[in-house]
Amino acid sequence: MGRPEPRVDGRLKVTGNARYASDFPVANPAHACLVTSAIAKGRIVSFDLDDARAVPGVLDILTHETVGNEVHEPKFFGSGGTASTIHRPLSSAQISHAGQIVAIVVADTYEAAREAAYRVRVTYEEEDAATTLDSDGVETLPATKVRKEHKNPRVGDAAAALRAAPVTIDAVYETPTQHHNAIELYATTCVWSGEQLTVYEPSQFVHALKHAMAEQLGIDAEDVRVISPYVGGAFGSKAAVTPRTALVAIAARRLNRPVKLVATRAQGFTIATYRAETRHRVRLGAQRDGKLTAYVHEGWEATSRLDDYLVGGTETTAHIYDVPNVSTRVNVVRTDRATPGFMRSPPEVPYVFALETALDELAEALDMDPIELRRINDTRNDPITGAPYTSRSLMACYDEASRAFGWRRRNLPPGSMRDGDWLVGWGCATAVYPTFMGAATARVRLARNGATRVEIAAHDLGTGAYTAIAQTAAERLGLPVAAVEVLLGDSALPAAPVAGGSNTTASCCNVVAKACDGIRRRLVRAAMRADRGPLRGRKPSSVNFVDRHIAGEDGAKVSLADAFDMLGAPMIEEYAHWLPHGMEPDALKKLHLGSAALTGGAMEDRIAAAFGAELVELRVNVYTGELRVPRIVGAFAAGRIVNPRTAHSQYVGGMIWGIASALHEQTELDRRVARYVNTDLAEYLIPVNADVPDVQAILVSEEDRLVNPLGIKGLGELANVGTAAALGNALYHATGRRIRKLPLRIEDVL
Amino acid sequence: MPALRFMLNGEWRSEERASPTMSVLDYLRTVARLTGTKEGCAEGDCGACTIAVACPDKDQHAYQAVNSCLMMVGQLDGLSVMTVEGLARGDGGLHPVQQALVDTDATQCGFCTPGFVMSMFAFHQAGERITETAVHEALAGNLCRCTGYRPIIEACRRLAGLPPFVQPLAKEDAERLAVSPDEPVGFTAPRSLGALASALAARPQAWLLGGGTDLGLLVSKERQSPTDVISTARVPELKNIAVTADALELGGAVTYSAALPHLDDLFPAFGALVRRIGSRQIRNLGTIAGNLATASPIGDTLPCLIALEARVVLRRTTGARHMSVEDFITGYRKTALAPGEFIETICIPRLAGRQRFFAYKLSKRFDQDISAVIAAFRIAISGGKVASLRAVYGGVAPTPARAKALEMVLTGHPWNSEALAAIDAALARDLSPIGDHRASASYRLDAAANLVRRLHADSSGDEPSVRLEAL
Ligand code: FES
Ligand code: FES
Repeated sequence: MGRPEPRVDGRLKVTGNARYASDFPVANPAHACLVTSAIAKGRIVSFDLDDARAVPGVLDILTHETVGNEVHEPKFFGSGGTASTIHRPLSSAQISHAGQIVAIVVADTYEAAREAAYRVRVTYEEEDAATTLDSDGVETLPATKVRKEHKNPRVGDAAAALRAAPVTIDAVYETPTQHHNAIELYATTCVWSGEQLTVYEPSQFVHALKHAMAEQLGIDAEDVRVISPYVGGAFGSKAAVTPRTALVAIAARRLNRPVKLVATRAQGFTIATYRAETRHRVRLGAQRDGKLTAYVHEGWEATSRLDDYLVGGTETTAHIYDVPNVSTRVNVVRTDRATPGFMRSPPEVPYVFALETALDELAEALDMDPIELRRINDTRNDPITGAPYTSRSLMACYDEASRAFGWRRRNLPPGSMRDGDWLVGWGCATAVYPTFMGAATARVRLARNGATRVEIAAHDLGTGAYTAIAQTAAERLGLPVAAVEVLLGDSALPAAPVAGGSNTTASCCNVVAKACDGIRRRLVRAAMRADRGPLRGRKPSSVNFVDRHIAGEDGAKVSLADAFDMLGAPMIEEYAHWLPHGMEPDALKKLHLGSAALTGGAMEDRIAAAFGAELVELRVNVYTGELRVPRIVGAFAAGRIVNPRTAHSQYVGGMIWGIASALHEQTELDRRVARYVNTDLAEYLIPVNADVPDVQAILVSEEDRLVNPLGIKGLGELANVGTAAALGNALYHATGRRIRKLPLRIEDVL
Repeated sequence: MPALRFMLNGEWRSEERASPTMSVLDYLRTVARLTGTKEGCAEGDCGACTIAVACPDKDQHAYQAVNSCLMMVGQLDGLSVMTVEGLARGDGGLHPVQQALVDTDATQCGFCTPGFVMSMFAFHQAGERITETAVHEALAGNLCRCTGYRPIIEACRRLAGLPPFVQPLAKEDAERLAVSPDEPVGFTAPRSLGALASALAARPQAWLLGGGTDLGLLVSKERQSPTDVISTARVPELKNIAVTADALELGGAVTYSAALPHLDDLFPAFGALVRRIGSRQIRNLGTIAGNLATASPIGDTLPCLIALEARVVLRRTTGARHMSVEDFITGYRKTALAPGEFIETICIPRLAGRQRFFAYKLSKRFDQDISAVIAAFRIAISGGKVASLRAVYGGVAPTPARAKALEMVLTGHPWNSEALAAIDAALARDLSPIGDHRASASYRLDAAANLVRRLHADSSGDEPSVRLEAL
């Protein structure tokens, strides 16, 4: 652990041999194509399916008239379930959002299914839809009202502190709708064999999908298996169970033939989740020396009519800085849209943008270096509860990042740096992500020749879980990484948590280490008891596993093979479960039922989070207002780093996400028809290689003895937090114009 | 039964079952069961489906990267096709391109990887010099949502100096591929100009397919399904490129990639703009005539062709006619093409006398972005005055807009800052842009005017006219 091992799955991926969901060969599949709603609100009056049925090769067309009550109501994950929405697909004529699935066409070939889907004619009765925060007819409710467990962090008397503060900031910030747009499309293949259903679907939580299918289809969970060994990017979109899966299963059951669905890119914008638009009013109060005295943050988040999705990011932002008086409030705004969902750092991206921009405005008002302002307000304790951080290295991150960036050469006044036709601005912001962990189980098998197999139903979304888990087992058992085979992404394996909240490395490496320790104990005991064995009589704590041996501190050692012989067994298998600090034991039972419960962040007796500092240079063309980002430096501290190589890759990829989210990414809504307009990759702008600047990611070392036995913090969702604020702050520094709404657009600058 | 014949990963294949209008991507994944090639959009935007093809015609033996999702199976006839599965060496070793991607840790989720492998393979095969620009360009058509590209670019750099690994086609295979096939039903690829004209005269409703990069989209976007396709790709006359004393003449099946060296030579700013159209995969398939014939409002080349006073030759069985590109475009996605007629040649006059050519593209994302505003200027300055000017804008109206008022207020006047004072008013008369999600109307108008200021800055000096890279 800690070594920059190359990815164990690199070779499979470059040869095209890694199998993603839609790559699995199934016998004689039929192909499905979805038909989605052209209206945002109203009802279906009738279908005309004659033309569609006339297409040669069409096998079946499912609508609410055929499916009706077949799908049982899914339980929304926000209320402890696993589904992205309580919507029951094809259950009624009701339309609650644009792009809702209204029919599924199944044919012998994909071409025929698509052709027939084009020919499905639907007559609607349309009603006015309220689609976004400001639309007439939306319903705004406090989060505490819609979600009982929701708490708005608060401490002290923020209102009074604001009134008393000599310097204040009061501003409104907005972030847009965004879609994950992983390169892999939403695909599902369902195969029935008698009562048994196998689902091939890219998933961040195979156990949840398994149980969801059992519940929604009314079958026994033991009859469902979900297979998803490789996922072509997810970023949150493949965590909660979406309506399509049950439909494909039903279609396959009706035909008694495997059915394969690959939704189109455009359909992906409406049949799964997205990052909802948010609005924030942030008020800060400070003394003239920069010490914060008050922080008031009210957020509004769009959701659907059916489900109250909310991210409530003040749960993160209220704990970052040492402010004695904090008051926060979160509201949901119910609209006629699909239900939003997790997207990489769901709460942090919007809420940290608001806070970190407000802090920059405060630094400006104080005529103070923005990094200095953060230093003045740094803390070792949770300002809300007083509990200590398990570890925290925010200022160390700022120090390393500003050294690498050359921050000292920054001119303070905005608009004072120029290079030819370009105005130059430098900006900074804090990245933060709470550390989450979940109950996990794993099975490890070690054979006499050192061959090791780790089985755990965890998920590698490209994050490097295969590699990190292999490294963990290899280190514990004193073996080369190549000796370890890791099996993931299959609900037949021991249950592991959702690949969400960046918990996988912490949860899975800890449980795998625990299973390995079980194996170690048995071998060590055998070696210590063996007559004439070199380790006879040693204390278990005095030996280690290195280089295929059990070694004592004095150099005495027993090879693994000999230890196995002493034990008298050809192999050992250990099953382990692990519960993170503060989690109730029933979490394991819940895990087996597919519950996504995690613990972490601000806990009662401690608070755990990873931090980073991001510094960017942004340039604005004086003629055209075009924005370019030539370089970005991020320094991050996230406890023990299992693999610096994959960590580095996550940080770099994360910062690019942050840049895209600030400059390019916005799903645009045509308000008149309540539909998204840029639903393809030509118009939903994710970065291309030429957009990518000089990116430097610095790994700041940090030891954490409290957070979990291995001292690991999640980091996959750290580096894309704060980037947007850093860029907006740099834009202000370049031009003197403060843009409080993302994405930063050319025309706002011109 | 008529059959298509092509080579797939070095093996001959004769295909009778697959429909010739099926997409090559579907064919590879479902019929050939080669699932290494991925689908990320089916619209030519992501590059996950990239494969490499070599065509034995003429001397194009090198592999070119193309989007398999935009190609129809019928287009494979006579080609040698390489997919990610075909690269690894017989002994199980990785191809140098694959090895480089492993070494630089250039995969996260890996879904984009096979596409990158194939783009890099074609790039490496072509023996191109590895420069920053060349790498960016070779990879511009491949999107990665995870890695942030840095390690992929690094892998591409490491290819420098490595000899090509797969040899170009064997001579006898190339000869065999060049033989005209039995024509599959519903998909015709005539082998001569005359045959093309007759086919089109007989079936005027058929889709005329150039590279397919636009028509392929009609299938996915406009929900149309082709039943009858006539391809221009195998008509040798249409692949001609002639550089005469007066003009550059491009045949109706000349791809962007084939035209590019000549554009670079004669109109560098045009060349630089073309490099930012679509992606290399699209430029390898897409033809300039195809872009013209669909008259897409965001067809990036149209403003350039109009500013350069390009002309087209339109042919049908009964003869040919000539007209300017400006007249050829008659409306939103409308052209002067009559049924049975096709573009035989595009003729772009060389710059004469003091004429110079400038082109600008404003977009949010560097590559592969449908442009917000595009401007093309052909200007001649003599004695400090504007002797002549043709100014054409794209992205500001349903069709490319000639800025005649602007031309009038500037022509004959000193090319100085006073002249610039009049441009905003003139452009307001010329252009009535609409606002959409890409940019607001007033931004477009401001940007249009600022591009004239930029032109002024760029054309006042003597250095040549490529300023695109600086954007
Ligand atoms: S699948 Fe995206 S370009 Fe072909
Ligand atoms: S590695 Fe995931 S899209 Fe490139």
